[in-house]
This record gives sequence, structure tokens and C-alpha cells, in this order.
Amino acid sequence: MESFINYYKEFYADFSQQFQTVFIKDNRYMQIVKGFQITLQITIGSLILGVILGVIVAAIRSTYDKNKETLKAKGGFGYISLSILNSICKIYLTIIRGTPVVVQLMISYYIIFASIENGIPIGIFAFGINSGAYVAEIFRGGIMSIDNGQFEAGRSIGLNYIQTMWYIIIPQMFKAVLPTLCNEFIALLKETSVVGYVGVTDITKAGNAIAGRTYNFFLPLIAVALVYLAIVMILTSLVSLLERRLRKSDH
Amino acid sequence: MTTDNKLIEVSNLQKSFGKIEVLKGINTNINKGEVVVVIGPSGSGKSTFLRTLNLLELPTGGTINFEGVDITDPSTNINLHRQKMGMVFQQFNLFPHMTILKNMTLAPIKLLKKSKQDAESDAMKLLNKVGLADRADAYPSQLSGGQKQRVAIVRALAMNPDVMLFDEPTSALDPEMVGEVLSVMKELAETGMTMVIVTHEMGFAREVADRVLFIDEGVIMEEGTPDEIFNHPKSPRLQDFLSKVL
Repeated sequence: MESFINYYKEFYADFSQQFQTVFIKDNRYMQIVKGFQITLQITIGSLILGVILGVIVAAIRSTYDKNKETLKAKGGFGYISLSILNSICKIYLTIIRGTPVVVQLMISYYIIFASIENGIPIGIFAFGINSGAYVAEIFRGGIMSIDNGQFEAGRSIGLNYIQTMWYIIIPQMFKAVLPTLCNEFIALLKETSVVGYVGVTDITKAGNAIAGRTYNFFLPLIAVALVYLAIVMILTSLVSLLERRLRKSDH
Repeated sequence: MTTDNKLIEVSNLQKSFGKIEVLKGINTNINKGEVVVVIGPSGSGKSTFLRTLNLLELPTGGTINFEGVDITDPSTNINLHRQKMGMVFQQFNLFPHMTILKNMTLAPIKLLKKSKQDAESDAMKLLNKVGLADRADAYPSQLSGGQKQRVAIVRALAMNPDVMLFDEPTSALDPEMVGEVLSVMKELAETGMTMVIVTHEMGFAREVADRVLFIDEGVIMEEGTPDEIFNHPKSPRLQDFLSKVL
């Protein structure tokens, strides 16, 4: 018993000293707080960019898929411009989904925006463009999964294509894709941890920097992991709350 | 029948899916107040014919004049004409994310610019007629098949259409629910609504139809009054078909 208490005391003294060095000394915890803010900035920024891009690309792709016959019959400018847009979207999806996000990030930083020093907007750009490709396919899959009868019912009462999409298809689609979309957001949050490659001190890089300075890897890295875990758990519970509210209509 | 009695004029209507010719030239008129029942073997093109009437299927040839306008002309705004053509589907196609009342008021509010109160009170009147006023706040998943189809009928009626198209409205129903839907349709016919009905319910066709179209192999093989079609069929194909279904 005594040895156990001694061991515990020793461990506690050791732990509290490590904690002092890693987090308190020189206000090092502030690096983690600042890194966390930057991680959030990049995640939220690229989330917004990704959803906007995803909606646009999904709208073009599914409009093309649903209307190509009608438009082909009508011919003319509408069909040509839509098929060009559709091809552009396909190329975008192929390139983005076919290359690693770190490579895209470095290409953005060192080649496309070589003249810009600040890595944060470039991170938002790169992760946003990347996430947009996945979000687009999630939305498109969701739209295609809605029974065509819903679409016909909307059109048959006189709603036009956009109204049918907006009032009938998209609300059902959103409910169907919510879990997948949430996974994408979680993946995005974790993916931003590679933004250190272009010199941005996000939370991962901050943890790594403290570890390098104090030669203590355990505490800073575990702390960083716990922060990610906490955000993901909060996000997950928010989504399941939302899902429960949306499920009202299918008893 | 005078010319201005014609609501829909179909001439030489054709529809192909790729190489398969489904409609090979349909000619017929639907007159105001008329109840036309379309019968025929499965795969004969009768549903396709109905779905081309409001351009859910785009015809590959021929014309459809609805209220004097050629709706097959690409420059026609089909959305306006569809408001005047109610449609009821085999699979009901109620909007599952909306209550019954919302299902019925969406289009009148968005398209006819009715106020919410007006649209809702009109919808409640219609629901009353089909005995479903107490389910106004339910979601479609809480209704039986027969109730869903009755809602689908009044949802279409809420737009105050000039013609109602029925695409096998009882085919997806349990047998004991067929009657309630048919009786709603019968009442509707008695109010003078123009109706085009694709159905396998021969008893109903005999009772309610003013005219019966027998479609087979993409053409109207025979048409006439229920008495002519059911009691004195002329073509061997119709005789054969009736011997199988009656």
C-alpha cells in the first residue's frame, strides 16, 4: 500500500513538473490556444468554400443528368453551355479526388500563390477546393437517391425545375446526406492538420513545436489529440440532435 | 361535339425510347367534361401516352394542343399549362417531408400566389370532401395507401385544374383500399371534371367512362363507349385482351 502511495506521489510530482514545463512555462499553452484558433479558422473557412463549391458543382452535374434529353431536343446554347460546364466539373472532380490534399496544398502555396506569404488563406483555398469535390459528390448522390416520382410530382403541379429542386428535392436530399456530410466535415477538420507543411502554426504544429522545445512528446501531443477529439464529439452530437429533429416526418 | 369543346387535341403522337417505338401515332381528342378511360395490355404504351399529355415524357413526334396551345412547341412555357393539368400517380408521390396540409398548399401559395389562409381553408374544404380533414397535420408516412391516394387527388385538385390525369391510381393499393379511391374518382367525375384515366379496373371503366380507348402496340386499336368496347368488341386483339382481364 505504502509503495503504491509513494509511486503515486512520485508520479504526481513528476507529472505536475512536466505539466509546468510543457504548458505553463513561457505561457506555452497560449501556442496551443492560438493554434486551435487557426485550425478553426481554416476549417470553417474551407467548410464554407467547400459547401458553396459543392452546391454549384452538384447543381450543374445533376441538372445536366436530369435535363440533358430535354435540352438536347431543344438544342442550342443552353445545351452546349451546360455540357461544357458539366465537363469542367468532371475534370475538377477527377483532379481533386485523384491527388493527395498535401500535394494540392503545396502546389497552392509554392506555385499558384507563390507571391503570398500568409499560409492561412492559402490553406482555406486548398482545403476548400478539396472539400468541395467531396461535398459535390455527396450532394449529387443525395439528389440522385431521391425517387424520381418526387421530381415528377413537383413538375406535374406546375413547379419549375428550380422550384421543384428547392422545395421538394433538396430538403429530402439534405436529410439523406446529413450523416455523410458530417463525416466529410470531421475529415476536413482533421485534414487541416497538414497545413504545417506550408508554415502555418495550427494546433498540430503548435503541439509539435512545444514537444521539440521541451523534449516532451507525450503531453503536448496527447493534448492536441484531445482537442481534436473534443471538437469531433461536439460536432457529432450536434448532428445527431439535428437528425432527430429532421426525422419527425418518418414515424 | 363542336370544335371549341375540345380540351386536348392529340395528333400523330409518337414516342420512342432509343430504338424502341412506344407510341406509333396516336390521334384523339379529349373533350371538356369527358371521362376517358385508357385500357390495354401492359407495355402497350398507355401510361406513356398519359405521361406525354403533360410532357413528363417528351414526345418524339406529333403535337398536343391543350386549350388551343401547342404544348409540344419548345417555346411554350409548359409549367403554366401543367398547373391546369392535375396528375395522380400510381405511387402517390406525396412529399414525405411535408404535412398533408403543406403538400396541398405548396403549389397554390407558390404558383397561384394565394395567401396562406386562403390556400389552407381551400385545402381543408377539399380534405373534408374526401373525409381526411382530421389528418391535415399528419405526415404521408402516417397514412394508409388509400388515404395517401385520396390526398394525392385533392393535392392535384387544389390547383383547380381543367383536366385530371390518373396513371393507374389503384394499382399500388391493397385490394380493400381500391374502393375508397375509386369512389372519390367517381364523385369527381360526377362534378363534370375532365378526366383521363389509365386503369386496370374494368368495372370502374364500364361504370364511369364516357369513352374507352384501347391502346395496343402504340396505337389506339379501338375506341368507343363502354358498351361498345366491353360488350361488342370488334378487333380480335381487344376480344383477346378482354377475355384475359374480365
